[in-house]
Amino acid sequence: MKNYLKLVNFEFNRCAKLYFVLIGLTAVSQLIAVFVESRRYLSQVNVALYQDKIPKAQFLSETGEMSMFWIVNNAWFSLPIIICITAMLFYSFFIWYIEWMGKNSFIYRLLMLPTARMNIFWSKLTTIALMIFGLIAAQLALLLIEGQLLEWLVTNEFRVDLSIQQLSESSYYLAILIPKSFIAFIMHYGAGFGMLLIVFTVILLERSFRFKGMLLGLVFGTVAFLLFFLPTIASEVVGFKGLYPEELLIAELVLGLMVIGLSSWTSHYLLNKKVTV
Amino acid sequence: MIEVKGLTKKFGRKKVLKGISFTANKGEITCIIGINGVGKTTILNAIMNLTPVNSGEVLIDGEKISKTSYEKITFIPDTMTMLPGFRIEQAMQFMQDFYQTWNQKRADELLGFFKLEKTDKISALSKGNTAKVNLLLGLALDVDYLLMDEPFSGIDIFSREQITAVFTSHLIENRGVIITTHEINDIEHLIDKVVLIDEGIVLREFNAEQVREEEGKSVVDVMREVFQP
Repeated sequence: MKNYLKLVNFEFNRCAKLYFVLIGLTAVSQLIAVFVESRRYLSQVNVALYQDKIPKAQFLSETGEMSMFWIVNNAWFSLPIIICITAMLFYSFFIWYIEWMGKNSFIYRLLMLPTARMNIFWSKLTTIALMIFGLIAAQLALLLIEGQLLEWLVTNEFRVDLSIQQLSESSYYLAILIPKSFIAFIMHYGAGFGMLLIVFTVILLERSFRFKGMLLGLVFGTVAFLLFFLPTIASEVVGFKGLYPEELLIAELVLGLMVIGLSSWTSHYLLNKKVTV
Repeated sequence: MIEVKGLTKKFGRKKVLKGISFTANKGEITCIIGINGVGKTTILNAIMNLTPVNSGEVLIDGEKISKTSYEKITFIPDTMTMLPGFRIEQAMQFMQDFYQTWNQKRADELLGFFKLEKTDKISALSKGNTAKVNLLLGLALDVDYLLMDEPFSGIDIFSREQITAVFTSHLIENRGVIITTHEINDIEHLIDKVVLIDEGIVLREFNAEQVREEEGKSVVDVMREVFQP
């Protein structure tokens, strides 16, 4: 356990710099979104009220009030989210492959640590999880800051304040990142980490058997994926409606646990018996 | 004692190891000699469970390798095993964090002996100094067995001399060492036991001192006999 925590700490420190740069860029870009959208709106207000002499009430009923809704749908807001998601996807692979890359083969050291090799596996998974939750937390904090900034930039009479819940419904990306209910949170992120586990196993298959491993990985990945989403596929694609929603949920949970078990057992076997430096 | 028993290993269809068996004792320097590409590195990797073998087994003091074995045996490969972005002091800290057998006093001693700066970044080191850091990270572990893969290849003469000096010092004394090489000149006088390997099999395993006394032959003489009959 102690070694696992040390490894998590080590893995996180390794990419901490880049990670905080990513958060910094997101913050800057999203604050730009607030400025861009409020200026656009305020100039609309100026043109309408002072040049075209449209009454305020009419303007508000035609154009609407300024709110975070406009900001979260601006490209300056969503682009960094896309970049962060891409970066995390990329890093999920890179976190393994970097160990074999170049002259400095750190994999030697990792495999020779006097600790269970699965600790390496779990520490990498945990690091990705921590980074993702860190990004979400940063996004939530940023939404509050951005809301505050908007309050300063646009006066009360032209502004509607939205709750985070309302916001998450008004942006495609936020809707994915910030689930509405606890169950949805467990489902979304459970599925996400289940997939990450499968990806890790596929990477280890490739690392163990190289080209043959890639094909094996493809088979393993497909089978695990199908198993994981069997209830969804059955009800959505095949049209099998024999299960109540609660039963569907339980089936999903059981299958999910099965896939997690299968994937971790396979990874354990590969790391201990098959992987090569 | 390290016992290597009947190791076989295929890379695709090519059989690299065809039943390698030998032993290496504690307190002795055992040298695996063979030309390049003969599977010397693979043998060391297999001993450390860093690569799977098709058959055969390795016993370290009668036990199969497990996670706790890494406090007892260590391997110094010919590539750097630390993050290139680390400074030497960070690398030492890393070792201290994970190994109970890490001996910082000895690490400091080696640092001085090799004239290395703690604050130097690993990626900025010369090839010779990189090899020395690698050596330091292995030697500063209080382990019983030490495996070294080609510690002299591609290294300048002064670094070679420093590394050879390590072999005759207390840093090695009482430990079991397995070293691979394809050039023996520098270390002929140091080694106790020789294992000659070619085409995946052990051609001859002998005690250097014994052959010298009984047959009046040097290691190189025996190598000539075996490799160029």
